[in-house]
Amino acid sequence: MAAAVARPPPTSSAPIPSVRPAPLPSTPSTSSEPQESSDPGVDVGVLKELARTGLVEALNAVPGAKTLVLDPTLAGPLGLITEVSLLKQHGIDKMFWLEPGALSASTQNVVYLCRPQIRWMKIIAEQIKHHTSLSERHTYNLLLVPRRTVLCDRILEEEGVFGDLHISALKLEFIPLEEDVLSLELEGTYKEIFLDDDHTSLYYSAQALMTIQQAFGLFPRILGKGTASARLCSLLQRMRTAGLAEDPTSPALSLPSTVVDSLVIIDRATDMITPLCTQLTYQGLIDELIGIKNSYVEVDASLLSTGPQAASQSATTPSLGANPTAPQQKKKKHLLAASSDPVFSQLRDLNFAIVGSNLNRLAKRLNEDYEGRHKAQTVEQLRDFVGRLGGLQTEHQALRLHTGLSEQIVPMTQTEVFNKSLEIQQNLIAGYDVNAQFLAIEDLINRSAPLHVALRLLCLFSITVGGIKAKALESMKREILQSYGYEHLTLLLHLEKLGLLCKAPGPHVSLPALRKHLRLLVDDVSEQTPTDIAYVYSGYAPLSIRLIQCVTMKPAVVAAEMGEKALAPAGLESKEGKIPGVLPRAHAIVGWKGFEEIVRQVPGDTVDVVQKPEGDGTGKVDLLPKGHSTTTVVFFLGGCTYTEIAALRWMSRQARGRRYLICTTSIVNGSTLIDSLSAGAWKHISA
Amino acid sequence: MAPTDHPTSTWEPMQDGTVFYRKQELYSMQWKVQDLSDFKVVGARYGGPLAIIRDEHKVIALGGAQRFTKPQIQVYSSSGGLISTLSWDQGKIICMGWAYDERLVVLSEEGLYRVYDLQGEYEQFSLGAEALEEGVVEAQVHETGLVALTGSLNFLEVRSWEGGKAQTLASSGLSTPPHCWTIMPPELTVSRHVEVLISTDSTILMLDNLECIDQRVSRGPFTFLAPSPNGKALALLTAQNVLWVVSSDFQGELAESDLSLEGVSGPPKQMVWCGNDSLVLVWDALVLMMGPFGDALRYFYASPVHAIGEIDGTRIVGAEKCDFLQRVPSSTDAVFRPGSTSPAATLFDAMTHFERKSPKADENIRSIRPELVAAVDACIDAAAQEWEPYWQKKLLNAASFGRAFLDLYDPSEFVAVGQTLKVLNAARYYEIGIPITYTQYQHTSPEHLIARLTSRNLHLLALRVSSYLQIKADPVLKHWACAKIAQTKGISVSEKDDDDIVQTIVSKFKGQYGVSYADIARRAWQLGRTRLATRLLDHEPRAEDQVPLLLSMKEDRLALKKAIDSGDTDMVYHVLLTLKKRLNLGDFFRLLEDGGPELAPAASLLQVYARQQNRELLRDFYFQDDRRTESAILKLEEAAEANDVVDRTAAIRAAGKSFSEDKDRGFEARMMDEHSKLLILQQAFEKDADGRVEFIGLSINDTIYKCITTGQSKKAEKVRSDWRVPDKRFWYIKLHALTEARDWEGLDAFAKQKRSPIGYEAFVNHLVSKGFPNQAKNFVPRCDAKQRIDLYIKCGDWRAAGAECKERGDKNRLDQLRRMAPNGLVQRELDQIASTMNAR
Repeated sequence: MAAAVARPPPTSSAPIPSVRPAPLPSTPSTSSEPQESSDPGVDVGVLKELARTGLVEALNAVPGAKTLVLDPTLAGPLGLITEVSLLKQHGIDKMFWLEPGALSASTQNVVYLCRPQIRWMKIIAEQIKHHTSLSERHTYNLLLVPRRTVLCDRILEEEGVFGDLHISALKLEFIPLEEDVLSLELEGTYKEIFLDDDHTSLYYSAQALMTIQQAFGLFPRILGKGTASARLCSLLQRMRTAGLAEDPTSPALSLPSTVVDSLVIIDRATDMITPLCTQLTYQGLIDELIGIKNSYVEVDASLLSTGPQAASQSATTPSLGANPTAPQQKKKKHLLAASSDPVFSQLRDLNFAIVGSNLNRLAKRLNEDYEGRHKAQTVEQLRDFVGRLGGLQTEHQALRLHTGLSEQIVPMTQTEVFNKSLEIQQNLIAGYDVNAQFLAIEDLINRSAPLHVALRLLCLFSITVGGIKAKALESMKREILQSYGYEHLTLLLHLEKLGLLCKAPGPHVSLPALRKHLRLLVDDVSEQTPTDIAYVYSGYAPLSIRLIQCVTMKPAVVAAEMGEKALAPAGLESKEGKIPGVLPRAHAIVGWKGFEEIVRQVPGDTVDVVQKPEGDGTGKVDLLPKGHSTTTVVFFLGGCTYTEIAALRWMSRQARGRRYLICTTSIVNGSTLIDSLSAGAWKHISA
Repeated sequence: MAPTDHPTSTWEPMQDGTVFYRKQELYSMQWKVQDLSDFKVVGARYGGPLAIIRDEHKVIALGGAQRFTKPQIQVYSSSGGLISTLSWDQGKIICMGWAYDERLVVLSEEGLYRVYDLQGEYEQFSLGAEALEEGVVEAQVHETGLVALTGSLNFLEVRSWEGGKAQTLASSGLSTPPHCWTIMPPELTVSRHVEVLISTDSTILMLDNLECIDQRVSRGPFTFLAPSPNGKALALLTAQNVLWVVSSDFQGELAESDLSLEGVSGPPKQMVWCGNDSLVLVWDALVLMMGPFGDALRYFYASPVHAIGEIDGTRIVGAEKCDFLQRVPSSTDAVFRPGSTSPAATLFDAMTHFERKSPKADENIRSIRPELVAAVDACIDAAAQEWEPYWQKKLLNAASFGRAFLDLYDPSEFVAVGQTLKVLNAARYYEIGIPITYTQYQHTSPEHLIARLTSRNLHLLALRVSSYLQIKADPVLKHWACAKIAQTKGISVSEKDDDDIVQTIVSKFKGQYGVSYADIARRAWQLGRTRLATRLLDHEPRAEDQVPLLLSMKEDRLALKKAIDSGDTDMVYHVLLTLKKRLNLGDFFRLLEDGGPELAPAASLLQVYARQQNRELLRDFYFQDDRRTESAILKLEEAAEANDVVDRTAAIRAAGKSFSEDKDRGFEARMMDEHSKLLILQQAFEKDADGRVEFIGLSINDTIYKCITTGQSKKAEKVRSDWRVPDKRFWYIKLHALTEARDWEGLDAFAKQKRSPIGYEAFVNHLVSKGFPNQAKNFVPRCDAKQRIDLYIKCGDWRAAGAECKERGDKNRLDQLRRMAPNGLVQRELDQIASTMNAR
């Protein structure tokens, strides 16, 4: 069969000059268009290097062998920037999780590494006091990420151990998850900002975005939607003023960037519909059904058998990236990253419906490539084949993993609960027979569907319909408390406070208008060759991304009123669009222009600020010079989903000249959001 | 300008005319001092001010204008202009000296010292207990610190002027006071720490903070010790007036001369360095300058003088005039030395000819063509070293003239010197009175000169100099603003005055970056101008500067507001925790409550903090604020952590009570009631089961489920009726539980008990999904007829499915089944059914 193919199989060194968004064979970065690969966009690798250097310097500042005690929530982020061997090189003798209980350190030096949170301070204080009571002597160092705070100083003072610690800061901000995704890896920011009204993470976000500006220049324009977005924007401007007061000559604060054209901020409260829906891309579904934590997924060890990257686990020695809760046997953490996994890079953003067929095609191609050895007749050909063998084997292994994962996911997508809840979601967004949907949700609760499934649907109902009638809501809450336990009352109260589960008339988005003007529902989406972002939810176009399109890709939204045909490459730039096979050029950033009215209907403030150059510059900056590609930074305050990332990646493939750098506080989905709002498990007691 | 005397008129030759020294008169003094010997004089370097105080050992004629009051220190500029008068109300003054930033340090015998700025504002510090008890005998001040000798012969060191604790230097082992001692300032020593040189017996001890080393010199005792300005040499004067210069490590002997040969007797009043190669000794009105090779120059004055050593010469101040004595710089020497044929002199000559329109100019230039660059350089340098603007100009003109003959010449030095001279001439003007030389200016810095002008309140000049040299003017502006505020000190001011001041300050600062309003505001606050301080702080962009000041001003609300505005939650915590410590709880809460929405973020942060660190505080806060729901949630958190049922039930009841106090929380209150009832029931169930079955913590659903799986259907029924569990939900629970328990008989009975509210498909589907297709198919006949075929297939019973087709006469469906049949056996069976159908 393989011999019959006349064309030689493509190798990684010769990418096919295809402009279609379909997966490209063997090129490691599918997100970049071949014709623009010469234009690297912004390089975020430098951030990773910065973080790594910072860590190494901080560790080297403590001489000699040391015991590292690590905040478990930092293990993931650290795992993304460094590896255990590097830590060993820099004198880390042993590693422990920072958790309640005594610490048995064998080295003189103890280094605590954690976020500046009260709970960690209390544990550290306990451990030091315990050592003192045993008259054990250690030198304690505390590294706070991303900065040292007065609050922690005070807590340590109150606990009476302040003098025993040498405290310093480790500035760990954005961590590159992929070459186009940066995350602060701050957990629970949605809850902190919108439920607790604790704006600490907002401040950290602002600082991290300032760092981005230091690296790439001032954002020429800041756009945003949502109350917290507005707050973040004003913080950014405030920091700029303060920074300029300190150093008026700083070019990063006075000159607009030439590589970044704008920053678009979307706060999670603006669009809760999207995370409440079930993500239908490959990576999104893995996150929904298996769970991805800090880019790591837990998979059967058998799928990784020969994988050298699999982290070894033991109870006392934490491995970076791993979660401290003892894993079930035969499960291993695996880093899901396109950079190390050629197959994943092709699959991650596809609708799951076509993942199977893609896997098939890949398998066939791989087989052909292996068969290539029979064609090798001369020594050179053979050597060439052997040279490619390593790559083939990596691919082979990746293929096995993803086939395994898909096999695991398929049955989960065939259950009644899963399909019923998808149906309810689609109907609610379409506004179709809402009463029937309410009953359907009740039925799911009767069938003991998981709590987060029930709550996600109920919240979606409340948001889309605008609250639930008092009596129905009360009986529904009673059903939930009886079915899942009274301890979830706090969670229900929190959902109410956030306006996610409310009495009618409650806060809601004016869905019919948005559906119409923002084209939230798209019929006949093609999963195979998507023509709209709606493919990520098989019909629903994420509101958050539509809002971004209102700024960066107006034709895609305009199409709503003109019908699908407007989407033809003609778009705004007719001349270039007519050349077959050439994508239209991205239009310049002109704010919300044309969509002011509809954007106003989405709750929350609307932000549009032009950051003028300092001094007597007239502010005239050519936002999109010809033949030059710029990057739009998108920041999700409160977290984003994998589907939103996939949609943005799809968008950057639809036009020349604009890439998206996706920044977020963390990656979330509806379930993790709801989990973060619950008060935590109740202590187990018995009579 | 009228031509002044030729520069060489002040020159005196030395070493047989190979070297010249010049003594230029800088100023005639403006002061009314008659006899300088009546005063103790301390002068600052770099043309700095002079501090004088009457020497109380001197006899004073009574009467006249003199009155006996507290001692007064007068500070004059080098030209004798009075800068300020400081009255001294402390004990006997041991020592005075100038810091690098021209602040006057005055030390009393009790070890108390003040650091005065030129406006007479001071900071006061103490050397500590030892100095107080033992007294200070002697002390020496250098630019960044001082060393004091106590009554117990210990040396104490102060390292900076911020009031740091005095350090005791290593023990010197002295038993009697030294003959004399001096210090090597830290900037001159290898160790960068101060060193003390002590003359005792016939030797010299070198003392620092670690050790005391005997230098094993045998020519002592000495009456004077002086390190050279560059720290490389040390001059020692023996009691026999033999001047001895050694390298500062005592390894090399550099010069020795017997002063008695110069016809002087008795110890001099002063011995200071003149540059790095000669020494100036002062006997009242006689100034003797000793060159490096033993030759001397003598200058006679009409009245006693005081000498101040500079890095490039010596300033000599008398009652009438102020002179500057220095070795003639080599470039000046090259240009002006009588009979000089150096290229520079030739160039200068050419210029003169050119001005006279004499053709010799061209001839001269031609003759030095190859060395023209050096000649231009020398003229520029000579201009820089020149005091008189007339000669500066002439020299620069010469340089400029020479430059015209050069194709390539970097003009930056020329421009810089021109610029600098403009600044220097302004500073040297007698009303300003800073006779700074070009070398000194280079050694310090333009910023230093600007700071010196600023500290004399010469803001306008300082500002002009700043902008002329393109140096950031913010320190000047800051000082100006502080001075502006201080001016109105003590005068009662209205709100409008404050506004005016703020307006003036803000308008001046506009367009200037780096000005810290917080610093100015702090000054205003220190002067008791709180309102003004607050106004000024509004203009401060950096919250981290604003907030601490507001806190110390006790502007609590504003501090909190500014902290919130900054967006930095840690700053808010800083304010909150400080206030919590300072205020009583009631006031603290009231501040937050009265703050309204503006301070709401602070209240939220307090809750986040208290939830983890101080529950008691949070309870009080919610109680005071009537927040019933939050109180209840807090109770529930306690319930979650409770260790036993009794505590948990109590906490849940308390939560219920809180809820019931809020009329909108009736539902929640009822739920709490149900919850506590459930806990009690579960406790009873556990008791019944002798603790073999755990119930506590389960939901209603799970309780029913567990009752059924453990075969206690009656209890399940009780829970169902007590909690009014809807039929549908109950049926699902029971179906799931019986399946789990594999109680097929029970399941059958249950199914038949009454018509299922959830239908029977649910039975089939659940059983199949749990892997019991054989049990599942029993329920198919009860299902909707249309679904049965599919359900049978789900159960894997193809024959029954086929039979069902036959029953319904659905031939098409049967054919479809035949095509789908998984194996031959099934195929045959289906074929058989099909054939019987056909037969009919």
